[in-house]
Amino acid sequence: MPQLIMDDADGVLEMLRDSVAAFAQGRPGPQSLRQLRSSEADLDREQWQEMAQAGWIGLMLPEALGGAGLGIREQVVISFALGRALIPSPMATASVLSSALLATVPESAEQRRLASGLIQGQAILAVAVSAPGLTARLLDGAIVLDGRCEFVEAAASATDLLVLARCGEEDMLVSVPSDVEGLERHERPAVDGSRIASLQFSSCLVKTERLLARGALHTQIETAINLARTALAAELCGLASQAFNLTRTYTCDRVQFGKPIAGFQVIQHRLVDLWAEAEFACSAVVNAVERIEQGSAREARLAIYAAKARAADAATLIGRQAIHLFGAMGFTDECDIGLYLKRSINLGATLGQAESLRIQFIREERAA
Amino acid sequence: MTLDCNSLPDEEFRTLFREWVLENCPAELRYLRKQRPVYEEVKVWYQALAKKGWLSPVWPREYGGMGLSPGKHMIYVEEWGRLGCPRIPDHGIGLTGPLLIHHGSEAQKAEFLPKILSGEHIWCQGYSEPNAGSDLASLRTTAVLDGEHFIVNGQKIWTTLAHCANWIFVLVRTDKEAKPQRGISVLLVEMNTPGVEVRTIENLRGEADFCEVFFENVRVPVHNLVGDLNNGWTLAKSVLGHERIFLGSPTRAEYALDRLDRLAADRGAFEDPAFLSRYAKLRLDLYDLGSSYERYAKVLRSGGELGADVSVLKVFATELYQRITEEMLNLAQEEARYNDDLLIEGGQIDAMNLFLDARAPAIFGGSNEIQRNILAKAVLQLPG
Repeated sequence: MPQLIMDDADGVLEMLRDSVAAFAQGRPGPQSLRQLRSSEADLDREQWQEMAQAGWIGLMLPEALGGAGLGIREQVVISFALGRALIPSPMATASVLSSALLATVPESAEQRRLASGLIQGQAILAVAVSAPGLTARLLDGAIVLDGRCEFVEAAASATDLLVLARCGEEDMLVSVPSDVEGLERHERPAVDGSRIASLQFSSCLVKTERLLARGALHTQIETAINLARTALAAELCGLASQAFNLTRTYTCDRVQFGKPIAGFQVIQHRLVDLWAEAEFACSAVVNAVERIEQGSAREARLAIYAAKARAADAATLIGRQAIHLFGAMGFTDECDIGLYLKRSINLGATLGQAESLRIQFIREERAA
Repeated sequence: MTLDCNSLPDEEFRTLFREWVLENCPAELRYLRKQRPVYEEVKVWYQALAKKGWLSPVWPREYGGMGLSPGKHMIYVEEWGRLGCPRIPDHGIGLTGPLLIHHGSEAQKAEFLPKILSGEHIWCQGYSEPNAGSDLASLRTTAVLDGEHFIVNGQKIWTTLAHCANWIFVLVRTDKEAKPQRGISVLLVEMNTPGVEVRTIENLRGEADFCEVFFENVRVPVHNLVGDLNNGWTLAKSVLGHERIFLGSPTRAEYALDRLDRLAADRGAFEDPAFLSRYAKLRLDLYDLGSSYERYAKVLRSGGELGADVSVLKVFATELYQRITEEMLNLAQEEARYNDDLLIEGGQIDAMNLFLDARAPAIFGGSNEIQRNILAKAVLQLPG
């Protein structure tokens, strides 16, 4: 029932919602998620390809790079709908973050190659931009990468890695072939059935043609990460919203003591509080979208921290309470409700969990 | 006819209103500690508003109101709060007026509306009774027809500012046989009618701003019945329209957080990671309340109507206000024992005053449990 409420004069948002709903009809999310979990793959290539054909991958890439030139408004609608349908994909990192990074670097052949591959679903771009210890140096016309990066999504399926490394006083954003020599990948299962890798770079040689940007890149990387956080917040809202809907339906159907348990006031008030959490999360995401569109970088950052924190807390709270309200059924793997909690935990902790984002909000607000 | 403020762009109206308030609301009345001053205390401000034609933001212009659209009304309320204007005895403006405009007879409108605007009539609202609070429909104050009069007997309680009002609109039972909601009517009663007695009740903050009102064989002319006999419940429920959004306004929580902020800065608490974590939660809750409030405000600005779901703001805002004031006492440590204000460099913080004040909003205007019942039924459509 909770929904992202935004103006949709030309009906584009509704169209996108319908498009994800139709996709989910053919490939029900819970089923896809279970399949992915048992396959031990970090990406369902076939599904990703279909998502690319639907036009959802690299949605925000500018038209000059072959993208649809759509905005954060359209992206959050897609992400929300994916969350609601529980469709597992590394959308926020492998599509939103990677395309935001590509859109921000200077023009180059490598940039165009990656952008076009991303949009077509051929290039899978894993992103490794949050490792302070990664270093780059220039040696005989090549870039040499060393160091370790944790928490990389779609690393095994990736064709290329977007890697941020420190080179002396400057940053370098490099596109690294995933089969580069000297790269070790250690994968671990994530709680929701997806996979996360840590990457160890040992004297990995990359051609300088693959250098996407250099200089002081901190601000543009943070801006890109913040767009990914916004997408994550929207996906979390979708999870929260659907977990709530399922719980409402279940408690209305489940009869004990001669009446549906949702008829008891203690359950009703709990459901109201959960619904309120989901509604507040949706409003927070809409606020973030509006702040991003209004163009004040600082206001946008604060709004994004707030939205990601709120959505993560709402989705995990609703997930936990939902399991309780489903009773013993909720504790079974067979019941889908647990999948919503697990996915919420994973997304909630991706690119900054609630508490750290709240502290970040306060630091930036008080620094003014 | 005064200026039609609806024709101004929002920001222009905001500036106009702001500047006028700064000129006309006496400085000593702004940021009053007292939540509910009586008429005499704020008379100057009341009369300045009345003279300008800005006392009653929502009434249609034909009745002497400003006829503001909900969007403009939001601005009016926001600036009022932001500039620390004192609350005026506003039951006549906010409740009696709309009640009469929508349901009153022409004679009632002609008699009462101008006197609200002039300040001659100060109204209070007789709803709750000792055994009819959240369960308001079980009220037992009776009105029995006797020729050209109703004879009223019974008792009202928690009647805000009854001690300085000269009129009261009361919910009375006029049919004991009907279902509880069906036998209720609305009467307008002059407070100096023989048989009406008012006793103030001191609240936790040490102020006497609510009262008991007793009715003993009080004779009320039949023409003071509002709307149809036995239809009062419907009338009472319809009085608040878009104004329900203000029950969930972030204003109180904003003010309290500002106080917490100052106290924390004075005590060096922002260096303490444990405090910072708790503060961050409160600050973000307030920020997100703003986003949610804006969502409903947007509905009003675009000419839409609010649904029952707006109650969610009241629940969240009032509980947040409580939590912020609780953190103030936590931060005060042993100083939380004091009844008077906490001293900080260059000022003082009324931590205890706010903590106590914060108990009330979660109770009045329909307790938060009642709000949750409404949300469960009307929005989530949960079974009986």
